[in-house]
Amino acid sequence: MEIDAKFDEKVLALIAEAVPGKFKKTHITPETNLQKELGLDSLGMLSLVFRFEELYGIDIAQMGVDVNIAKLKTVADLLNVGREIVSRIPAAQ
Amino acid sequence: MQENNSPQIVDCHCHIASEEHTPRSFIEGSVGNMVVALSAQGVPVSAKKLINMFVNKMQDPLCDGLVAEMKAAGIRKSVLLIADFSYALKDCKLTIEESFARHREVLLRHPDRFEVFGGVDPRWGKDGLALFERSLAEFRFRGFKVYPPCGFSPSDPSLFPFYELCAHYHVPVLLHTGPTSPVLDFSISSPFLIDEAARLFPTVNFILAHGAVSFVEECVMLCRFRPNVYLDISGYEATLGYDPSASAVKHVLSLGITHKVLFGTDFPVFRLQGEQKDFLEPLLGENGALSELNGQEKSLVLYKNIERLIPVGVAAAA
Repeated sequence: MEIDAKFDEKVLALIAEAVPGKFKKTHITPETNLQKELGLDSLGMLSLVFRFEELYGIDIAQMGVDVNIAKLKTVADLLNVGREIVSRIPAAQ
Repeated sequence: MQENNSPQIVDCHCHIASEEHTPRSFIEGSVGNMVVALSAQGVPVSAKKLINMFVNKMQDPLCDGLVAEMKAAGIRKSVLLIADFSYALKDCKLTIEESFARHREVLLRHPDRFEVFGGVDPRWGKDGLALFERSLAEFRFRGFKVYPPCGFSPSDPSLFPFYELCAHYHVPVLLHTGPTSPVLDFSISSPFLIDEAARLFPTVNFILAHGAVSFVEECVMLCRFRPNVYLDISGYEATLGYDPSASAVKHVLSLGITHKVLFGTDFPVFRLQGEQKDFLEPLLGENGALSELNGQEKSLVLYKNIERLIPVGVAAAA
């Protein structure tokens, strides 16, 4: 599937939804650290992954993509992995 | 991989990341809490998917992955703990004797990287006691791991023969405190339950696991007033989402017991959240939990306290 023009916007909206209230005022940029600056622990990251799957109607594990949540440090990391996953979605899906 | 140049560090609380030593029922129970939390947020989640994600992080039976993470983090040595679930949970893949053997293989595979504390449920009786003594005398294990939520108090008299062996071989006891997988019993996880044993076995050192995050006040009190009681900070990673600078650890370190606090991570419990080096930054960073300690105090917490309890490089002596 091609990356649509609003991809970043959609993912940033998912991130904003997952961020705990204490960190809601943090300005989100590609360099923003997911854990230190946005308070996204493993539960927050899992929430993001599942909402991403819901958004695109996919099951990442079944696609054979190994997403190592522990290595996703910044918003840019998340956007890059998200683009890679979407690019592997068959066009007809 | 190049070794990180951070200070000397010994991690006193790790486990082998393998389903061989952690039964599926234990993992399923732990995942249950995540399912409840995510479902409450309206996140579409399946327990099966979460379990698979955890299990994917439990594929390191020989600890090659852990050693790589230790090198990247500058952790010189880690203590591998064997929690004996084999009496309480019936879906364990290995017997406790087989689990001990696997840990011995890891010790031989990675010389100088690990120490092992063997754990035996006291209800295994004389066979369990004999296995534990062999582990100290023959396998080069260096301590005793106690897991009360499996169904016994850490001061139950059935454990006293084990503590006598610990006194004889000059090795410490590390016991779980606080919550664990919901398939086990939380009601006997209070640190106060060690008090009788700590009083009766004054030459044995007892380490309260997770003492910076569970029953903190009680753990600190025991550390302050029982000369042979210590605590480890493992589990602080669970607080990093809402407390990125690990102020829970900083608080404990501000209470005058730096000679009793041990660094630990509880690897691989937080492996979905990050790697070992990620968990050191909240402690060692500019405003991290250890930032207000002087050099001597830092070295106590990071390695000298555990090395006093199990002199590194020295075999357990009868």
